[in-house]
Amino acid sequence: MLNSFQNITVTYFPELVDSEFKPIEKKYLKVIISNIFVFFFIFTVGVFTVDFTQILDISSFLFYAYFSILIIFGLIFLVQFLGFTKRKYVVREKDISYKSGLLFKKTTTVPFNRIQHLEIDQGPISRFFDLAVLSVFTAGNSSDDLKIRGLKQEDAAKIKEFISSQIDG
Amino acid sequence: MVNSNHYSEFRTQSKKGILVIYINQIYGLLKTFWILLFLFIQKFSKFSEVSLNYIYLGIVFVLLFFLVRAFLIFKNFQFKIENNHFILKKGILKKNIIEIPFDRIQNINFKQNIIQQIINVYELNMETAGSAKAEISIKAMSLAHANDLKNAITIFDKSNQKSEVFREEKPLLKIGLLELLKVSLTENHFKSLLLLFALLVGFYQQINQLFESSGNNELVDDFITENTSAIQTSIIVVLIFSILLVLVGVFSSFVRVFLTHFNLTVFIKNDTLEIDQGLTTKKSIVLKKNKVQHITISTNPIKEKLGISFITFTQAESGISKEKQKTIIKIVGCKATQITKIKNLLFPDENLHDFDNNHVDSFYKTRLYLRGFLALLLINIGFFFGFENHTIFWLNSILLPILVFLTELKFKKRTFLFSDELLQINYGTIETHQTFLPFYKIQHVSLTKTIFQERKNVSDVVFQTASGKLKIPCLKDSEALKILNFALYKIETSQQSWM
Repeated sequence: MLNSFQNITVTYFPELVDSEFKPIEKKYLKVIISNIFVFFFIFTVGVFTVDFTQILDISSFLFYAYFSILIIFGLIFLVQFLGFTKRKYVVREKDISYKSGLLFKKTTTVPFNRIQHLEIDQGPISRFFDLAVLSVFTAGNSSDDLKIRGLKQEDAAKIKEFISSQIDG
Repeated sequence: MVNSNHYSEFRTQSKKGILVIYINQIYGLLKTFWILLFLFIQKFSKFSEVSLNYIYLGIVFVLLFFLVRAFLIFKNFQFKIENNHFILKKGILKKNIIEIPFDRIQNINFKQNIIQQIINVYELNMETAGSAKAEISIKAMSLAHANDLKNAITIFDKSNQKSEVFREEKPLLKIGLLELLKVSLTENHFKSLLLLFALLVGFYQQINQLFESSGNNELVDDFITENTSAIQTSIIVVLIFSILLVLVGVFSSFVRVFLTHFNLTVFIKNDTLEIDQGLTTKKSIVLKKNKVQHITISTNPIKEKLGISFITFTQAESGISKEKQKTIIKIVGCKATQITKIKNLLFPDENLHDFDNNHVDSFYKTRLYLRGFLALLLINIGFFFGFENHTIFWLNSILLPILVFLTELKFKKRTFLFSDELLQINYGTIETHQTFLPFYKIQHVSLTKTIFQERKNVSDVVFQTASGKLKIPCLKDSEALKILNFALYKIETSQQSWM
C-alpha cells in the first residue's frame, strides 16, 4: 500500500511560505478605525434620539444600552486592531494568496488560471487615503473568493495588470 | 436524419404546445388560488342563484382568457438556427429576442410531464453557461423534431458527431421495479420524513392563514394543544406516534423514489452519460463528462448488504445567479461494476485502491465531542424548562451512548487519500460517502483554523470547486500545507480545462 503523501513524486514545487507574505498598507488601519467610529457614532446617536424624543421609553435601561454599545465596539475595535497585523498577501508567479483573521485564521490561494475576472474598488474613506480593494473572482462560490483590502491604489493596479498579463500569456 | 434546414426559418413548436401551455397556466393558477376554490366549494350552498351564475361566468371568462393567451404565447414563440446561433423570439406584448451561440449551450435535456406523455410531445430544455435567465424551454416538440434540433445544435462539435456513430445502445444500467423497491426501502427514511414535514408545514401555514381570516383560529390551535398535552402524558401515544412516523417515512421515501427514479436507464455514449427516469415527469438528462465537477458515491449499511449504492454528480453552477439552484443529478441502485464503469469514464486510469487511507487528526474527534455535548446541554436545558416531570432526564442515558457511538463512527469514517490526479474524501456517520475530485477541477484552496486549532497545530483544508466546496477537517499543519502546495502545483501546471 502507498501513502498518498509519500507518493508525491514531484521533487520540487514552490511552497507557500509564511515569510513571503507582505503586510497590507498601514494606512488602512485608519480606514478601519474611521469605519468603526462612523458606526459607533450612528448607533450612539440612534439610541440618543430614541431617548430624547421618547419614541420608546428606554430611560430605565439607558445605561445598559450605552454600556453594551461601548463594550461591543470596544471588542470590535480590539479584534480589528490586533487582527490588523495578520492581514497579509503575496503574489507569486502563478497565484495570489491572502491571509487574515485573529480568532478564525484563513489563508486563501487562487491560481491565476482559474480567475474569471478582477475588480478594483474604492470606498469614500479609502479614496481619501488613496487605498483600494482588489477582488478576484473564480467560478467557485463568490462569497469565498479572494478580496484584498487596503492596497495602495497604484499597487492594486499593478497587481491587476500583472495578473491580466499572466492569464493572457 | 439531420436536417438543419428545418430550422433556417423561424418556426413555432408543435401545435400541441398550445394545450401544454394552457394546462401549465391553469395549473399555476390553481396552485396560487386553490384556497379560493376550497372556500367556494365549502360555501357552495350559501351562494344565491344569481351570484352563482356570475361566478360560473367569471370562471368561463378566465378559462377563455387563458386559452387565448396560450394561443398567443404559442404563436409568438418562434425559433431558428443561424450561423451557429440559436435564436428565439418570444413575448406577446413585450417582444424578446434571445440569441445563444452553440458553444454556450451546456446541455440539452428532454422532459415529459404527465400531459406531455399523454399527447406524446417532449419538452426540450437548454441549459446555458450564462445567466439563469437565458435558460430556454420549448414546451412541445415531437420526438423526431426534438432530436433533429438537438443534433443540429450539437453537430458543430466534432466529438459529438463521432458519438453518434459509435452509439452504444445497450444501457449501462436499467433499474427494474424490484430493484427500485429495494432502493426505496433502504432510503434514509428520516430524510424523507423531514422533506414531507417541510411540505406539510407549507400547507399548514396556508390553511392556518385561511382559518385565521375566517376567525376559526381556535379550531386548529385547540386541535394541536390537545394533541401535545396528550403526548406529554401518555407514553403509549408517543410509541404509536413514532411507529406511525416510521411508516409515513417509509411510505414517503417510497413515493419519492418511485416518482423521480421510475424506469431509470443510463447509457454511456462516448463522453456523455445519458440518464432517463421519472414516472409522472419523465426526464432525460445528458451529462457531459467535462461538465461534471465531482462525484459522490454513497451507501448505507443495508444498501451495502444488498450491494447497491447511489452516485451523485455535481455540475458547474450556471452563471453568477444569486439563487443557487444546484444541479445535482443522482443515479440510484448502482452495482459495483457499474460504479467502476462510471468512474473509468470520468477518471480514466485512476487507481486509488493502491493507496492507504489517511486519517484526520484526533482533534477532529475532540471537536465533534465538544459540539455533541453542547447540543446535549441545550436539549437538557430545554427539558428543564419544558417539562415538570424530571424523569425526562433519564433520556440522557439513551442519548449519551448514541452520541458517543455516532461520534466515534463519524471520526472513523473521516479519511482521505489522493493520487497524482485525483483526491478522494470519505465521510459519513450511518451512511458512507466517497467523494472524488480531480485536482484540476479545483478553483481555489483555503486553509482555515480557529484559535483552538492553532494551539493543536491543525487546520481545515477547503477546496472550492465550481459546484460547491469540499473540506478536509483538522489536518496536521505539515500535512495540510503539503496537500495545499501539491494541489496548487497541480492546478497551475494542468492543461485541462475545468469545464
